[in-house]
Amino acid sequence: MKRVLVVLASVSLTGGIARAQPVPDLPLEGGTEPSQPPLPPDPKPAESADGDHREPAADPYAPLPPPKPEKPLPPIYMPEVLTTPTGWLLPAAVLYSRTSLDTGGGVTSDHRFGLGDVAEFGVATTDAVRERMDDRDLRATRIQPYVTASFRLGVSEDRLFVGQPGVTLGFRKSFERNHNGFKTRIAELTLVASKNVTPRFAVHIGGAFWDASLEGIMDEATEANPEVQRREVSLHDQAQLADQVRVFGGLQIRPLDKSSILVDVGWAPEFCYRCSIDDQKIRLRPVLSWGVRYEVARWVRLEAGVRVPDIDKANLLDAQIFGQLSFTSWALRRAVDSLK
Amino acid sequence: MFRTTTCLLALLLAARAAAADDGASITADEDAKPVRRTRDASVGRIFKGPFPSSRLYTMPTADVVGAYVMSVSAESSLLQDTGVLTSAGVLAIGFGDIAQLEYRHTSAISITGINAPVPTAGVQVKLPLPDSLPPLGIAFRLGVPRTETFGDTDVVETVTDVYAVTRLRARGFALHAGLRLSQAKIELTRAMELARERRLALPTGGFEVAMNPTAKLVGEVSLAPRFAWMPGSIKEPEIGYGMLGRLGMRWRILPSIVLDGSIGYQLDVATNAPVQGPGAIVQWDIRLGAEVFVPWGALACRAAGVFCD
Repeated sequence: MKRVLVVLASVSLTGGIARAQPVPDLPLEGGTEPSQPPLPPDPKPAESADGDHREPAADPYAPLPPPKPEKPLPPIYMPEVLTTPTGWLLPAAVLYSRTSLDTGGGVTSDHRFGLGDVAEFGVATTDAVRERMDDRDLRATRIQPYVTASFRLGVSEDRLFVGQPGVTLGFRKSFERNHNGFKTRIAELTLVASKNVTPRFAVHIGGAFWDASLEGIMDEATEANPEVQRREVSLHDQAQLADQVRVFGGLQIRPLDKSSILVDVGWAPEFCYRCSIDDQKIRLRPVLSWGVRYEVARWVRLEAGVRVPDIDKANLLDAQIFGQLSFTSWALRRAVDSLK
Repeated sequence: MFRTTTCLLALLLAARAAAADDGASITADEDAKPVRRTRDASVGRIFKGPFPSSRLYTMPTADVVGAYVMSVSAESSLLQDTGVLTSAGVLAIGFGDIAQLEYRHTSAISITGINAPVPTAGVQVKLPLPDSLPPLGIAFRLGVPRTETFGDTDVVETVTDVYAVTRLRARGFALHAGLRLSQAKIELTRAMELARERRLALPTGGFEVAMNPTAKLVGEVSLAPRFAWMPGSIKEPEIGYGMLGRLGMRWRILPSIVLDGSIGYQLDVATNAPVQGPGAIVQWDIRLGAEVFVPWGALACRAAGVFCD
């Protein structure tokens, strides 16, 4: 009897263990596939004459409707050549991020967001703004990080008529920067036009209206003037309106499908805190950059090149070799479209 | 620079015409019928709107948010006054399809020279006029005192407004014009007791150009009360006129969410130029804001069967 009980207990235990195991990935005899596609959504319940809802007989084996073909994504034209803005805007809800390193120890980043296909907002750090202490200080050093916010508004290429360049009106302004006891700010209003002349060649040209301010103790104490005070000078006070305007531009050549050669000339402010003449305290210096952009994937681009500040002096000693990585993402756009 | 801006505006208007030629449908939420509040409405349908907005940036329009809808909007700028987050907001609750109760920040230029919004509470009504006439909105905003402290002196600024605003609309383009009658008051307390009050008539105007089905180019120019007093001075404070302008865009990212971004500038009415000259763009600011519509009536109807049509 005992033996029978032991056998029964063993059989029950083995059965229990067997039930606890997962079902093997084998098609059941006469059954369905193991990876069954989800059933189609229930059709709308029909309504009878007396107003009651009736559940219709749903066909669980009805074929799924074919998936909607995904819209091909339009190309993203970059909002900057290398250092200067372009006349192209990011598409709506597209995110853009760029991080840059250079041999001078500069690290900058730029994050932007496309607004409704007509505008773009961004926050960035730049190392283009430079400082000198006085007239004897011949070598300008960079102030970094210098945080700026930008807002650009415009019309995309070929919007009005065939051949119309992309046009943007942009405003960039910095947060106040306190460095070496001096407070500085910069602002730039730009109007840029960009045109793909051929599929492999694009031109960018624009005008910038610059302004900057500097506040601090800028004067040396002398016997005649023993008490020096903080004061503020600004570009708009020192210069004529025309002196605040600068022309900038760039070229973009794409010899290979995924590689472009880029050249641009822009401007950057330079502060001289204790220069003897106020007109010399804030100046705009030309910057030449050239380099290559390689499209690693649809969403990532690698750029490398050379940037020469003070190109008017042909000062190659201060040139920096830089590398930058930029990402673009349609993820938010897809999320927004799915919510719609 | 104004010429440049004018050229760009002309381009944008032409772009709008191009959009119309393309057959792009320009949504006019202001004219669409509101969603019916029924128990079987899905949440997706409820949040699909339409939701008309009752403002441009700071200027009210002749429209009100729909009945049983709440609109919450805010905008801010870190760039205008260094180190300080200047912000403004509106909380509006629509009722009866023609009126809304609101708590908002109305525009005024503070004694520090920045566009510092003054809080107000009020009511806005869209007059039930025949369709052949342009709509007319009337708003009353009761000023809530705003206090700033300078050393041992408190400066209290209050602005109470009555607004009348109308709108003309063609396909994809709207022009807004209004008049703001403002009772502005500035009081100095604690170290000195001085007060000044002035009634001001402040014209205001704006435009909207639909650039595509979801985005509009928006601009507004308005006069605003300008408070002037030099901290530490024994001179009486003054109230004058200042001009505020904004140019930017409003983008309906979802039917119930609007994002807006703009560039702003200030002009001194006496010189018809910015206080520090036309080249002082370092004084301009960038503002970013959002408006969110909550159809609370339709949600309550769906959840509990109350406030249904």
